[in-house]
Amino acid sequence: MSLSSIAKLAGVAALVGLSAFARPSGALAQTSGEPIKVGAIVSATGAGAGLGIPERNGLLLAEKDINAKGGIKGRPIKIIVEDDASNPDTALSKANDLIFGQKVVALLGPSLTASTVAVGGVTHANKIPQIAFTGIGPAVERERKCLAHVLPPQRLNAQALLEYAKNIKATKIGVLHDAGYGNVVMAELRPLADKYGVKLVAVEKFEIGATDTTTQAAKVKAAQPDAVFIIATSATPFRNVKQVQITQPVVAAIGSSSYEYVNAMGSAADNITIPEFVVGEDPLPHQKAFVDLYKQTYNATPKNYEAAAWDAAHIIAQAIAKAGPDAGGEKLCEALRGPYSGVLANYDFSADDMTGIPLSSFVYSKLVGGKYTRTPFRVTQ
Amino acid sequence: MTLSLVLQAVFAGVTNGIVYALVGMGLSAIFKGSRVINAMQGEFAVIGAMTTVLLLTKSGWPYPAAIAGGALAGALVGAFIEIAFVRYMAGKKASEDSFLLLTIGLALTLSASVLFFIGRDGHLLPPIGGEGVLIVLDAVIQFHALWLIAIGIGATLLLRAFFHRTTLGLSMMAASIDPDGAATTGINVARMRTFTFVLGGLLGALGGILVTPLIAVDYTLGLNLTLKGFAAAVLGGLTNPLGAAVGGVTLGLVESLAIIGISSSYKDVVAFTVLIVIMILMPQGILGRAGRRGG
Repeated sequence: MSLSSIAKLAGVAALVGLSAFARPSGALAQTSGEPIKVGAIVSATGAGAGLGIPERNGLLLAEKDINAKGGIKGRPIKIIVEDDASNPDTALSKANDLIFGQKVVALLGPSLTASTVAVGGVTHANKIPQIAFTGIGPAVERERKCLAHVLPPQRLNAQALLEYAKNIKATKIGVLHDAGYGNVVMAELRPLADKYGVKLVAVEKFEIGATDTTTQAAKVKAAQPDAVFIIATSATPFRNVKQVQITQPVVAAIGSSSYEYVNAMGSAADNITIPEFVVGEDPLPHQKAFVDLYKQTYNATPKNYEAAAWDAAHIIAQAIAKAGPDAGGEKLCEALRGPYSGVLANYDFSADDMTGIPLSSFVYSKLVGGKYTRTPFRVTQ
Repeated sequence: MTLSLVLQAVFAGVTNGIVYALVGMGLSAIFKGSRVINAMQGEFAVIGAMTTVLLLTKSGWPYPAAIAGGALAGALVGAFIEIAFVRYMAGKKASEDSFLLLTIGLALTLSASVLFFIGRDGHLLPPIGGEGVLIVLDAVIQFHALWLIAIGIGATLLLRAFFHRTTLGLSMMAASIDPDGAATTGINVARMRTFTFVLGGLLGALGGILVTPLIAVDYTLGLNLTLKGFAAAVLGGLTNPLGAAVGGVTLGLVESLAIIGISSSYKDVVAFTVLIVIMILMPQGILGRAGRRGG
């Protein structure tokens, strides 16, 4: 083989390699036919926008990804995203429109518990599969066996906090929590504390949106805990804990894991441990493809809510593929009930809580200089 | 309950109280000068703080210049609102509730504009006097909070001197107490009303700038501050800016002492019970009639 032919071969190989590289592998798959319509409701505005905007991003990315990989058995998926403005009434009317007007085969979302409960009334009555971006809420949701949840129930969040306390051998815990989300997690945490051999030495509450919680933080400090739990959806308590110079380890519930809050913490966002799922800076192997695609598309690092929405879209797509697009709600629900290995967690929708997330799906991250690092600690089950 | 905890509550109470006071003083200055209850007073704080943040981070101004720019932005918006809306409506003999509706509308518009143009994120400013803290008996107060208290007290005293000792301040008082009488002595009543809005905007912006190193400013902060500032102003006697200062600090202290006194779960119950009792016993506000004579 002459030198020139080697060069030619190399050139051809390079071209083939390049074209394979330039073309996203999935683009080879073509979709055709009528799109399969799936409805989605998120809180893109209002108090829940911190959840709803990432969720919308996750949904749209998933739609692109599913269609690039050939859609659902060749048919494209169309996710119709609506905003409920963080209002359950609006969520309900959007759900009615999506189900009866747009004739969607399934519903994803909403972002908030109150909206999820409201929308569940319609999806349950009409046997429309629904995958909510919330943890299971009030007792009525246990009867809705076609309503899956892609985020952990609050009891699991409470357990995740206590597991970490056990790990660092903290037995005296001080808690700062808000009057909304914090109250709900606290209600689960109190009865669990004994089982973990943990004593709650100070439990201090503040209203949602409080701008100053230094006095509460000082009371927690005065109780001399081994570690402090913060269960909130704002940056304020984190700043105040640093201000009153609490030096004990701070563990925060997943609710304050978004970058929006981390940025607002400023220099206080250091050495806080959070039990969560997706550390965009250092994803687990099965999360990497999603994280890379997200970064490429949005030029930002994804966190838990983006991944939850991404999973929800893929879960419904898989169920539709399994049952067939025209199978109807009941068959789809059947297809939905079962285990699914997602980016966020390993779900099992046949579980009693319609989530089935195990504690082992949690990763524990630590904030260092406003960036997340994944710690080696995991709960083994 | 330890002494250090009480001291910590006092520190937090006075710090928050001064912020409520600055917002409340602006509110009551405007009410005194124009009989308008300004439901967008907290938005002045957001405008002041956001402008300072943008000048400091995007335009690279030195911090003192950015603060001055932020305060000026508050004053200018105040003037604009008086000239563009209030003056026109006053000319049409609009009622007090129309003005209230106007300012509620402006508050929502401004909050939405901040959301649209600047975004959802909270922004912080560097603390004045550095990140250091003063520790007294285990209670911690930041240097910035000490500056905030000092500047707040300074602003209150300056305001008092302004109303009592300067021609402009005296003219503004005259125009508010007796507009017709003031007009016959050659005071431009409409212009005085503009000045009260400038003053209100300036005080609100100052409060916003001073609080932003302690709590992040975002588009939702305004309403919260308006409510606290309004409570402070009513508590002190609505027509008396100095009363708002007293009211603000009282409110801040009652709130923080309620937390250590009983339980943080009952903070608002305790705080508002105390406030209701004060209003029943002193319906004219803490400074009462004494304050109404001047300010």
